[in-house]
Amino acid sequence: MKERCRETLERAYLFIDREGLDESERRSIEIHLEECRPCLERVGLERELTLLVARLRGCSPCPEEVKARIARQLESF
Amino acid sequence: MADPVPVDLTEDEKRRFQEEALPLLDSLYGAALRMTRKPQDAEDLVQETMLRAYRAFDRFEAGTNLKAWLFRILTNAYINTYRKKQREPQKVSADELQDFDLYRELKNHDPQFSETPENIVLDSLVDSDITEAIDDLPEQFRLAVVLSDVEQFSYAEMAEIMDVPMGTVMSRLHRGRKALQKRLWELARDRGIVKGPSEDGHGGR
Repeated sequence: MKERCRETLERAYLFIDREGLDESERRSIEIHLEECRPCLERVGLERELTLLVARLRGCSPCPEEVKARIARQLESF
Repeated sequence: MADPVPVDLTEDEKRRFQEEALPLLDSLYGAALRMTRKPQDAEDLVQETMLRAYRAFDRFEAGTNLKAWLFRILTNAYINTYRKKQREPQKVSADELQDFDLYRELKNHDPQFSETPENIVLDSLVDSDITEAIDDLPEQFRLAVVLSDVEQFSYAEMAEIMDVPMGTVMSRLHRGRKALQKRLWELARDRGIVKGPSEDGHGGR
């Protein structure tokens, strides 16, 4: 694996999560992804997987009777 | 269950708690359900979290991150109360993850993968598959994945919530995501969505 690929993949999660990289570091990853198909696919797959998990957001809401019970309990103080 | 300890909040603080904290119950419950994996425990856990938070609300610094503050209380309550009574299924163990590479598995399974941005394996997974896969993860990984990828907390917020250094957050999230990928792949194989060469959970290579 080429050094640029290794660097890119090591930083894939920082890149996807928008964490810890400055503008020039992000830019250099973007440039590499434009010219390296396997890295683009790998980073794309990782991103897709985080989006798959993000779908769960809000899909298990708190039951209404639990909300009501908690609200009543707080009011009793 | 919490004892009825009197709270020492001003009327304004009580009102703010009702207005700002109660709307976060859905998020808290969702995370509690992924932590405990049992609706009854999740209900008790969010109730205990809200009571603890209410009693401590005079120490919450207005204008700072209320959601992260509540999630930290939730996480502590879970660790102190519920974790002890739960047995971990550990379908994915921490040390078998080193080599798992979903990209390679997908490529081996489907050479057209690079031609199709949406691929058959990911597309065929429904929400209940994803919750099942998350529920099978070891606790620390599960927590990291839920906080980051479901609740969208930043690394810094997660470090605060889990009370660990940022490097630990990153390593748990990394390993948690890899573990999840392995579990999703195994689920897809169990469903017959993909064919694996072996039945022992180590197929694909």
